Amino acid sequence: MDPLFTIISIILILPISLVLGVLYSFLIRKLNARFQWRVGPIIRMYSDLSPVIGSTRIWQPLYDILKLMGKDTVIPGSAHKKLFVYSPYMSLIFSILAIFFIPFPGMPLLSEIPYSLIIASYLIIASIMFTILGPVASGSPWGAIGARREAELFLVAELGFVVSLFSVAIAKNSLSIWTLASNMESLPAILLTLVAGTTMFVAMLGKLHIKPFDMPEAECEIVAGPYTEYSGKLLGTYFLSKVFILYAMVSLFIAIFLPPFSSGFIWLPLYAVAAVLLIFLLAVVQVLNPRYLIRKALLWYLKIVVPLAILSLIVAFAFVLGWMVV
Amino acid sequence: MGIINRARIYSPWLYHMHCGGCNGCDIETLAALAPRFDAERFGIQLVASPRHADILVTTGCVPKQFIPMVKRVYEQVPDPKVVVAVGGCACGGSLFYDEDPENYAILGSADLLIPVDVYVPGCAPKPEQIINGIVQGILKLAEKGAKKDAKQ
Ligand code: SF4
Repeated sequence: MDPLFTIISIILILPISLVLGVLYSFLIRKLNARFQWRVGPIIRMYSDLSPVIGSTRIWQPLYDILKLMGKDTVIPGSAHKKLFVYSPYMSLIFSILAIFFIPFPGMPLLSEIPYSLIIASYLIIASIMFTILGPVASGSPWGAIGARREAELFLVAELGFVVSLFSVAIAKNSLSIWTLASNMESLPAILLTLVAGTTMFVAMLGKLHIKPFDMPEAECEIVAGPYTEYSGKLLGTYFLSKVFILYAMVSLFIAIFLPPFSSGFIWLPLYAVAAVLLIFLLAVVQVLNPRYLIRKALLWYLKIVVPLAILSLIVAFAFVLGWMVV
Repeated sequence: MGIINRARIYSPWLYHMHCGGCNGCDIETLAALAPRFDAERFGIQLVASPRHADILVTTGCVPKQFIPMVKRVYEQVPDPKVVVAVGGCACGGSLFYDEDPENYAILGSADLLIPVDVYVPGCAPKPEQIINGIVQGILKLAEKGAKKDAKQ
């Protein structure tokens, strides 16, 4: 595709991904509240209150971030200053870079280049790495415990994430996300989508800290976990990168496992439906589950995710062999 | 009003500091944030670290042993910040406060140590009163935020 269109779409995707990421996180909060018999962030404010406190709270996650940007930033004396200050920004930069490699309906962005699957998954990993490094540098015990939990969870979640992505790549014989995303679904591919997609969904739970796997942020045990020492702009930057990561994971899931929803512009409505369904599933899992002990979570991953991952690899190889026979 | 200052009104985060009361006020404070009144409708959230907070909700009178902690938690909350004192104890020491002879263990109200912006009297105040106090706190927060922005 011509470079001018790519540049324009790269500029366009920033606001789009911010808006969608904010909407997704709003939806998770709202659904959570509804499942708990609460109202949650209100969609249409009561008419007598709306002049003072705004007419809607759909943008609540964005307001949280904006407010944090306007606050003072406290840097603890025990922290390793450079790492502590730069980690949130690095995390943000990597999460934004990852977005450029994931297609949006009508916008292939950089996903056409070969090996974009590997680049995108590495960029997402890098962004999460910096949410571990910053807290370690903060010198706070809560930050260290949170970071350790995050690292352990990350290691196991990574396994499912990588295996599920690459089993699709093996089956379709390509490492460019755009090729994977624009291939029409065939019947055996649906089987792969089911198996590898489930693995990816479970990996997503770990990466996005959805309820059974939210021990890094367990507020009642370890204060705010990795984010305990962060405040003001740095915390806001972390939250912003979380919003982008949420968007990146959802769009990557749709691109890889539900082709061709993120190829042509005409698929936009189906893309939206798929995204909302995915968020709904995440919210359901979030409310239905209590938090795991970290040890039990690891065991659970080994018991459920590893067999699933192996199964999806077997399906993928069967696929390749089938190709060869034909 | 700038967008950041508006965001301050839209998303106040509370840190609940229990100093040394009888726990009555804490129960009411938590009731004010629980599903029945659901403060998340307006973006109010309870946070676990004082570094994330905008509004410090203190309950109970301050025991002498607790003085350094109260000061430290107050200093950890980044500017702009507001302190809401909930309950008779936090407002004026209530029945635990003695001037002469001085109580051997209890210092008295929180405003002897840190500047308090909003007082919510009552023993214990009802959740509606606490929410009203928090709303007053939010309005003060916006004022302070506007002053801070003007200074920069
Ligand atoms: S004001 Fe009353 S209810 Fe609240 S802490 Fe003091 S004695 Fe307990």
